[in-house]
Amino acid sequence: MFKQLKARFGSSLSVGIIAIIGIWLIGMVILPQLIMVDYSFRPNLLPSEIGTDKDTYSLNNYETLFGNSIHLSIFAKTIWSSVLVTILTLVVSYPLAFYLAKVATPGQAALCILLLIIPFWINEILRTFSWYIILAYKGPLNALLLALGLIDRPVRFLSGDGGVMVGMVYAYILFMIFPIYNAIESLDSNQVKAARNLGAGWIRTHYRVIIPHAKPGIATGCIMTFMLAAGSYAVPALLGSPGSRWFTQIIYNWFFEGGDWNQGAAYAFLLLLICIGFIALVMRVFKVGLGDIAR
Amino acid sequence: MDSSVHLDNVVMNFGDFTAVQKTDLKIESGEFFSFLGPSGCGKTTILNMISGFLEPSKGVVKIGGKSMAGVPANKRPTSMIFQNLALFPLMTVAENIEFGLEVRGVSKAERKKTSDRLLELVALEGSGSKKPDELSGGQKQRIAIARALAVEPQVLLLDEPLSALDLKLRQHMRTELKEIQRKTGITFIYITHDQGEALTMSDRVAVMSAGKLQQVADPITLYREPQTSFVASFVGENNPITGVVDAIDGNLVTLNCGVLGKFTGRGIGTISKGQSATLFIRPELLKLGQTGDMSFTARIAEVNFEGSYLTLTALLNQQHAISVQIGAEQYTADLIPDAEIQLSFASQDAVVIAGEGNV
Amino acid sequence: MKSETIMRWGIRFYIGIFFIYLFIPLIIMGAATFNNSRFPTITPWKGATLKWFDALAQDGAMWTALWTSLVVAMGVLLVAVPIGICCALFLSTVQGRGKTFLYSLMMSPLLTPGVIVGISTLIFWKSLSVSGGIMLTVIAQTTFIAAYVMLMVLARLQRFDRTLENAALSLGASQWQTFTRVLLPYLKPAIISACAIAFLQSFENYNTTLFVKGYDTTLTVYIASKVRTGLTPAVNALGLIMISVTVLIAILYEWKRRQEAKRTVSSVQ
Ligand SMILES: Nc1ncnc2c1ncn2[C@@H]1O[C@H](COP(=O)(O)OP(=O)(O)OP(=O)(O)O)[C@@H](O)[C@H]1O
Ligand SMILES: [Mg+2]
Repeated sequence: MFKQLKARFGSSLSVGIIAIIGIWLIGMVILPQLIMVDYSFRPNLLPSEIGTDKDTYSLNNYETLFGNSIHLSIFAKTIWSSVLVTILTLVVSYPLAFYLAKVATPGQAALCILLLIIPFWINEILRTFSWYIILAYKGPLNALLLALGLIDRPVRFLSGDGGVMVGMVYAYILFMIFPIYNAIESLDSNQVKAARNLGAGWIRTHYRVIIPHAKPGIATGCIMTFMLAAGSYAVPALLGSPGSRWFTQIIYNWFFEGGDWNQGAAYAFLLLLICIGFIALVMRVFKVGLGDIAR
Repeated sequence: MDSSVHLDNVVMNFGDFTAVQKTDLKIESGEFFSFLGPSGCGKTTILNMISGFLEPSKGVVKIGGKSMAGVPANKRPTSMIFQNLALFPLMTVAENIEFGLEVRGVSKAERKKTSDRLLELVALEGSGSKKPDELSGGQKQRIAIARALAVEPQVLLLDEPLSALDLKLRQHMRTELKEIQRKTGITFIYITHDQGEALTMSDRVAVMSAGKLQQVADPITLYREPQTSFVASFVGENNPITGVVDAIDGNLVTLNCGVLGKFTGRGIGTISKGQSATLFIRPELLKLGQTGDMSFTARIAEVNFEGSYLTLTALLNQQHAISVQIGAEQYTADLIPDAEIQLSFASQDAVVIAGEGNV
Repeated sequence: MKSETIMRWGIRFYIGIFFIYLFIPLIIMGAATFNNSRFPTITPWKGATLKWFDALAQDGAMWTALWTSLVVAMGVLLVAVPIGICCALFLSTVQGRGKTFLYSLMMSPLLTPGVIVGISTLIFWKSLSVSGGIMLTVIAQTTFIAAYVMLMVLARLQRFDRTLENAALSLGASQWQTFTRVLLPYLKPAIISACAIAFLQSFENYNTTLFVKGYDTTLTVYIASKVRTGLTPAVNALGLIMISVTVLIAILYEWKRRQEAKRTVSSVQ
């Protein structure tokens, strides 16, 4: 590989390129993850005890999770809710992505994309905060529902997982729309027309022609959304209540309140494994390779 | 200055695949030399070895007598015009032309002089501040030539530079290229799969097929004295008739072509009695009537009027198609499909080459 | 064809609802800034005021956080953009075994939850006795922002015609001259976009920063802490300003992009 690089850029530039990539990949991507995993198998010790015979590898930090029913149920809920958020986001995004790619005129599509990008450029915290205002006990949503007579007492939207999920769908929707939009856009419009001409209904056309073509985009969108949802700290921290904690919040507590980094590392690694598992699952279900993702 | 190019027993392999078989060829200083061959025969590969983008697997390239082994592309006295021209889109026309001088550290004033002179040479004075995108195909073409000439190469390499142009422009550019070559006296090595281009411009042409040189000769020799069946059928139109050698008389070889009859032509290379061989006769050398010493009858299958001439497709013995080209003035009303006609050629006009003639 | 018409109107209706859903929250948040209420809300409306902008201007901690954010974003820009460019150059040049693996590895920070990027960076540098702060924040954010830069630059590189490089070499340019005079100018628009994205990504990052910030506070972290403790409409005022600035940048960026697109289209004709 170096030979190809050298043939194009000369040796000094090639060495520079390799060195910079090496520093990043090894020093920022690989080693930190490895050290984190290593950390998760060690006990939490005082600095003076490190390196003594107490410092042995064990599965203790992982057993904590499976011994703690509250943590375990939060772990399960986080996974389950993230899957739900992913499905919800997909359902909301697909029609829009299809509209942008195949129905809208180029002008309309460009305008819509600009409108979509604007909230995307705005901070996740602010996007979430705006939902905090809307969903508040004395907020506009309750006021509206009361005025319409649909409820007779304000609802505590912010005390369950519902608020968190609404906020997440809102915060991550663009990570779903854009990959699907890109994928559908690359489909030849004539194929859609041909399918329609052959008498296929709209549902059938989507099911048999468009969705198979958009698979890599759907897979990318699902992976991104799930990863962002399961790994989100901001949304549950702002929109959740103490009763609806997210797994990331427990991890945070191990680090900055429990003071047990080893324990936190184990939890973090489990979260990472779940995300990797989800990626593997999606790639299997959609039959796409790693190379197709985020193209 | 000696700007000859010598391919000294050069071979190019890509893995197991041999793109260029052993080639030994000397291109003279100041020559307009073309490589002609079908797509994929290894023309670009040869050019890349001369320019230094590829190192030969075996043998060496010598320019002006000096070995180029290990000399990178940017240190060779060559300059290349690419099939897609490869003008730098972000630079102006003048910057494009001056690029080669700029990287050599030539002063701005000096560079300007050169680009002005070259713009004049290619008849595009005053276009220096335009971007390449603002030029027509033919103008871009000429800028690419000017850019390549600016570095005063000893050898100019041209990889099918006219293939993207329309017919009119292509013919016009042929004359211009030839003119520029005459003015500058640089060795031109020109690649094309268009035989018309090769024949009109070149001093000598090398015909290639599947990585192998078939024949190297000046255009007239190539047309009149093809040395291989490939050259006979690739360069210009030709009618092949295959048979078995029946008699040899001096340079004349007679073939027995079974039901088609017996035909005589000039033998090329070594031919012995009893072996199979092919006779090639060009459509324009076939005459109506009995003017030549080889005459036969055929039935017309098709008549195509092409302006100054006519192309007849005639069937020999109801099966072997032969194409005949006659001047429009020879047209008579009885030249219609199914008419029986008398055809003839002079045996000195036909060539006989050993082999079945299928290429 | 009737079902087609229904379909069309259905989808238009859906688009309308969707954009309302997308913008209502931001509008409500902006509106709440001007409500003369102690809490950020629009119900009940207690009259208009601009006092929360004053309150914001008085907030020294906010200004410190803004400065920290800018420093971090600049740091990330300087580190992540070169890394991303190098990765893109590498991927567009080499062929063969191992390339898919390396590509996946370079993509992996984008598929890793932000909190984990933060945690692994924190632990790794702790083992080298470096604790959280601006420097660690820059490093942690660079880990994944470099991958964004890589994708953006790579997308443009893939449309690059490599014969241009051969043309430069054949004219006698060195490889370095070819790189700086031919390839870099071509990549410039992508690099500028990548800088903008890197800056914004850094500026708005929360999940990763939270773990590596140490005692330094970026603006995003500051806003989040304000939302949870001591919430007043001053936060809305800050949000409104940030939204206005981003919207402005987004529109400018889009406008410039279209200008450019128009220019290339007209020059091709
Ligand atoms: N880098 C390479 N690796 C492997 N094979 C190659 C490489 N470059 C060229 N070839 C093969 O070598 C043969 C000759 O290629 P070359 O480009 O020289 O053809 P050409 O005569 O220029 O054709 P064209 O008229 O289509 O440009 C082709 O079969 C091609 O597939
Ligand atoms: Mg070629």
